Parts: sequence; structure tokens; C-alpha cells
Amino acid sequence: MALPGFEYALPVLTDPFVIGLIVVGTIAGVLVGALPGLSSSMAVALLLPFSLYLDPIPAIALLSALYCAGTFGGSITAILINAPGAPPAAATAFDGYPLAVKGEAGRALGISAVASASGGIFSVLVLLFAAPLLARMAYSFGPPEYFALAVFGLSMLSSISGEQPVKNLIGGCFGLLIATVGVDLTTGIERFTFGVPELYDGIHFIPVLIGLFAVTELLSQAQILGQEKISVTVSAVKLPSWADFKRVKNSILRSSAIGTFIGVLPAEGSTMAAMIGYNEAKRWSDKPEEFGTGSIEGIAGPEAANNAATGGSMVPTLALGIPGSATAAVILGGLQVQGLRPGPYLFEEQPGLLYGIFFAMLLSNLLFLGVGLIGAKVFSRISLVPATLLWPTVFALCFVGAYGLEQSLIDVWVMLAAGLIGFGLKRYGFSPAPIIMGLVLGGLVETSLAQSMIIFDQQWTGFLERPISLVFFALALISVLNAPVRGFIRRRRSR
Amino acid sequence: MVKFHPMNARSSWLARFSVLAVTVIASPPALAQADFPSRPIDIVTHASPGGGTDATARSMVLGTKLALDVDMAVVPRTGGGGVVAMNYVHSRPRDGHTVLAITPTHLFAIARGQGPIKIDDLVAIARSTDDPIVVMVRSDSPVQTLEDLIELGKERPIKWGTTQIGSVDHVAGATFAQRAGTELSVVPFQGGGEVVTNLMGGSVDAAGLNLTEALDQIQRGDFRALAVMAEERLASIPDVPTTVELGYDVVFSTVRGYLVLKGTPEDRIDILERGMLEGMRQQNFVDYLHGAGLDESSVAGREVWDAQVRRLYDNARQAMIDLGIIRER
Repeated sequence: MALPGFEYALPVLTDPFVIGLIVVGTIAGVLVGALPGLSSSMAVALLLPFSLYLDPIPAIALLSALYCAGTFGGSITAILINAPGAPPAAATAFDGYPLAVKGEAGRALGISAVASASGGIFSVLVLLFAAPLLARMAYSFGPPEYFALAVFGLSMLSSISGEQPVKNLIGGCFGLLIATVGVDLTTGIERFTFGVPELYDGIHFIPVLIGLFAVTELLSQAQILGQEKISVTVSAVKLPSWADFKRVKNSILRSSAIGTFIGVLPAEGSTMAAMIGYNEAKRWSDKPEEFGTGSIEGIAGPEAANNAATGGSMVPTLALGIPGSATAAVILGGLQVQGLRPGPYLFEEQPGLLYGIFFAMLLSNLLFLGVGLIGAKVFSRISLVPATLLWPTVFALCFVGAYGLEQSLIDVWVMLAAGLIGFGLKRYGFSPAPIIMGLVLGGLVETSLAQSMIIFDQQWTGFLERPISLVFFALALISVLNAPVRGFIRRRRSR
Repeated sequence: MVKFHPMNARSSWLARFSVLAVTVIASPPALAQADFPSRPIDIVTHASPGGGTDATARSMVLGTKLALDVDMAVVPRTGGGGVVAMNYVHSRPRDGHTVLAITPTHLFAIARGQGPIKIDDLVAIARSTDDPIVVMVRSDSPVQTLEDLIELGKERPIKWGTTQIGSVDHVAGATFAQRAGTELSVVPFQGGGEVVTNLMGGSVDAAGLNLTEALDQIQRGDFRALAVMAEERLASIPDVPTTVELGYDVVFSTVRGYLVLKGTPEDRIDILERGMLEGMRQQNFVDYLHGAGLDESSVAGREVWDAQVRRLYDNARQAMIDLGIIRER
């Protein structure tokens, strides 16, 4: 099958300089993505001025390669040290780290690399064939649709982890509460900012993430230091088996579709994609009870989804000139700095540039698959480092990550507070997963409801006239009723 | 005028030399000020890396650092609607090495009395972009003119998409509604892109967007531009009347420019102004403006920019008093 626009891509694929830039972008992306606090959007922004010295195609190829690889890179530290390198990798830590603790870090990293690359490639192919068509979909998503989507996302809250739905609900509410800090979008009124200007825009996600995962884990590790450590076997560096891949195949496919879809929506990015990818992987799994204890499906689900969201978010960015994610917004800026105006015109007038971007992303996905699989053997040795050396290093990294985000000490305090709270909650059997989910979806659920009510003149019946909203509400209802109904049927049968 | 292209690395040392030569010849007093700039200049922004303000500052820096022959850094101090950035600049010595990049957001924060800086503390250097608010509807809307829109608002509130409450487009829309005696029901969104998608999707009736945010949609005929909130028509949409022409003195624009605090030596401000204007004449900056849908008239020197800052501030303050956001003091 002939790929469309292949003739435009040839000069890109045969120019050693461009290939070299894509390789550099990919490796840099993996490293930046892996460091907590350094996100791909920041790295892309830092490279922007440098890209000005390049021609448009190499410049944007470099930035988009960095974007693709950076999204994968976040999973490495999420798996190895329970410190997600970037928000989209938060859901990967739910199962990735437990698997690494079991001494199977290599397996976890391998699954993550394959799932990420598959999701990424899937989304680039969608971008290649259907971008202008899919971009129109972005227009049919207004606040009422986003509200319904967020409600659907939250419907998995009680079952996202562990055996205790009530504790998950409490955790989720806590996450929602944190999400209310800052200026309320629809009223302009400050909430819980206590006069601290740094909190006007809300509590940053990354310090909370670092605190809840890495600092909490550090404190837990400190408790068991005196104990004899179970010697981790060489299996730590073993890559996943063929049977593993067969088991996660469906999760990858499902999450690739979910991730691309959510990526296309302008307001939502890869973090929400990963969250819903994780939820659905759990919902459809044969072994949902394994989730949270090191399920490989729980790694494949979010990783395929967050990388699929990279290609997805480039759809509205390139086709409409409306950024599909924070990083895509920076790439949009990069195009403008080059004197190009993304939007429908770009597709008609600059096909060479577009296909250059598509193939750069495709190549980057293939490259980080290689980097990831070879690297998995190397990186996984980190889990062999004695805890007395590893965790103090991680602690230092936590400070750098939290401070580096915006050079603000407030973020460091937030990180430390989140760590202490996370440690306390863990002792009483709460999991971080529902808190993160509440935090990710909290802002959206509140804002989109408030916007919808203004649009509907404060009549909630307006939702009934929005078919897409109704579909998501119905799915949410099924999702919530699923467990009790099944339990009811089982009890009836056993009688 | 020495023209050079900063993208061509080979000629840049030569260019740097010639710019220096021009500066020396054109302005003998500059020689006496050889001690400035003596260390890297910081451009303090309130925006996260990658946003419009950040991209504008970085594009400006590229040419200006060659013109001034000094290293320059873009320093993001995000949060608090510019208050964090203003706090930071306020804490630095007033020696010309720390420059504040401002947008209307900062002026609104000052008007609300937030942060340590007052309007009289600001001294303008140069403006880099001037991006007026354009009132628009979807092209299949029955609203054909600004008068139609005003009439619609008298029947029922116009659903008006804006970015955050208290942003320039919110204040612009509310001021317009008040002057025209019509009613808005404001629907706030996270950013211009979201306003565009929601206007396209029909969730809102009308919006006041920056030209750069919706030029594509206007040129393709998806949106109908009703009026430009400026004194003069725009070159890229010459058929669209201005609010002033139509009899409404409502002028709002997203401007981005550079300032220092009062107390900075005059001769240093001159050096900065010359360097920035020279830097923004370079091809890369002109390309950037064109990419965003603007042209060279966006760039302005101290005099024009200073007057505009004060006018915008007065407009914003009056609008906020009228809207009840702040009380008159």
C-alpha cells in the first residue's frame, strides 16, 4: 500500500542531517522525559530558540521527535523509582513500580517501550490518513461533552485500586479538593490561595506527583531499612516474553484508540488519556485483581494511551492551529516562529512540511522502541542499587524536580507536604491512584459543568439535547452499576 | 541600515561588528556608556515557556543580543497573573539589566492593586506586538453587522466566549456591551484556542478574539469579523470596520512589550530601546510576526509604547470601575 505523501517524506528520510536531529531529539527526549520535573513541553520550549537556526522541516522534526520520546521517557523513572518523570506517566507507576519491586524491572520497561511505540505509531498513522477529517471532531466537543467525558472518567474512581471502594472515594474527593485551589475560571474568584501569588493558578501537578509517589515511597523504604533485603535475582534485567506481549495486545490496541481520541480533543492531553487507558485496561482485563500489584496490562494500558495522545494532539494543532496539548502548544509556537501559520492552509500549501513532521514522529517512535528495549537492560540495573544509596539520591532528585519546574520554593513545600500526606494515607490503606485521578479530572469536571450551565442558561435539561454527552453519561452509569449488578446476579444464582 | 540575517551563522560575527560600528557612529554618547550592558540582560516574563509571550520574547532576544553584543536570557516567573514576575523585577536592582515583559494582564493586576508596582513606576522601552481584539461570529450566524449583534443582545444575552475572567478580551467585551447598551452572558474558557473551537461548534454566539488567534478562520470564511477594537483598520482584514468608526470608543488590544522600573538611568533605557528596535528589525522577527498574522507595524519605540501603556491602563481601570471589579479610590 502506498502511503500518501511519501514522495514529500523522501527528502526527510534520506537527509542524514535530519535523521541525525531526529536521533538526537529522541535520545534527549527519553532522558528529559525520565527526569522528574523536566517535562517534554519544557524541553521543547528550551529547544525552540535553537530550532530557529534550522530550516522548518528539520526544526519541527526535532521538536516532534522530542515530544514523542519524552512521553515515553516518563515511564522509566515511574517504573524504577516510583517517581513519574512527567504527569502522563503517573498511571504507569501504579503497576510499573510494584513489578520492579518484585524484581522484574526489565519486563516492566520492555512492556512500556513496546506499548508506547505501538500507541505512538498507531496515532501517527491516524494522523497521516485522517487528520483533517478528525480535526472537525474537535468542534463537536463543547463544555457539555467534556463534562460527560470527565464524569465517565470519574466513574471508575471507586474501583481504580485495592479492595476498598470507600477509601478510593475518599481519596478521589481529596484529589478533587486539591484541584479547587486557585482562581476559579468562571468567576475569577481566588480559592484557598491564602494570598500566595504562586497559588493563583492552582497547585502544580508535578510536585504533588513527586510527593505522593517518590517521597511517600522513600519514607516507607526508610521504615524497612533495618530489615534483611531479599536479594533481587538477575531476572531484573530480563525482557518480557512473547507470552507477555500476547497478553497485553488487546490493552495496547484499546488504549491506542482511546489515547488518539482523547489526544484529538483540544482541551485534553496525554495525562487524561493515560488515566482512562488504565481504567479501561482494568475493566476489560481477565485478571483485574492483579492491578496495583504489578499487572503488565496496567503498564501497557496507560503507556499506549499516553503515546497515542501525542499523535492525536498534533491533529488539531496542525489541522486547525489549535493546540491539542501543552507540548503541542509549544510546537505550534515553533511553527509560528518559523513564519508558518498552522491551520487548514498548512495542509493545502505545505504538504512537504506536514509529511516531514509525520515521518519524523514515526521514525522517533521506532527509534525510542530501540532505545527503550536496549536501555531496559541497562536502566533496570538501577533496581539492583541498594536502598541506602538509591533513595537518598532519589530524594535529592525530588527537590530538583519540584524546584526546577518553575524555580519556585512553593512547589518544594507542596512536594514535601504531599509526601507526608501520602505516607500517612498509605499507612491507613489509601492508594495514591484515586487521588491522582481526582486531581487530573477535578478541574475539568468543575469548569466544564460551570461553562455548560452558562451555555444552557442554568437549565441542566440542556444536557439532554447533547447526544455525545448522553452517550458518555450512559457509559458512566453502566460503569457504576456494573459491579453491584454483577454481585446481585451472582448472589441470586448462588441461592 | 545594516541588514543581516541571524539564521546565517557564518556572517553573524561580521554582522555583530557592523552593528556595533553603526551604533558607535550613530551615537557618540554610547561610547561613554561602555559599562552598559556589562552583564547578561534578563527578560522576565509571566508566561510558561512556549506561550505567545515567551515565543515573542525569544524571537526578540535573538536579534537584540547581537545588536547589544551581550547575552540575554528569557526568565519565566509564572503565576498570579504577572504578579510573581512583577515581584521579582521589583526585587532586582534598577540598572537596566532586568527587563519586564508585559501584557495587558499585568496592567489589570496593577489596576487591581496587586503586587508592589504602581503604573507610575513603569518606564516603557519598546513594543513587540500589537494584536487587536476582533469581534466575530460564525459565518452562518444571522448576525451580519455589529449593530445586529447589539440588537440580538437586547432580545436575550449574547453568549460571549472569552478567556479568563478579568482578561483583556473579557474586559473588552464587557466594556463594549456597556457602551452599546446590550447584554452579554460571558462564558470563560482556558485560552483562545478553546474559544475558537466553541465558537465554531456553536456553544457561544460571538467572541472577541485576537486577530492572530482566528485569522485562518476569518480568511477561510468560517468566522465573520464584525469589528476591530482599534482606531485604524487592519491590513490583513481591510474590509472590517473599527469600533471607533462605528461610533463606539472601545479600543482593546493584546500588546506585548518591554519595560523597566523608574530609577533606571536614562542613557541605559536609550541603549535598550535602540538595541531592541534594531533586533526586531531582523528577518527572523519579521518572519515571526508574519507567521502570527501580524506585520512590522507591531513594533514601536518608547514614545508610542509608553503612551499606549498608560492609555490601556486608564481604559482598563475605568472599565473595571464601571464593571464593579474594583472600586474607585
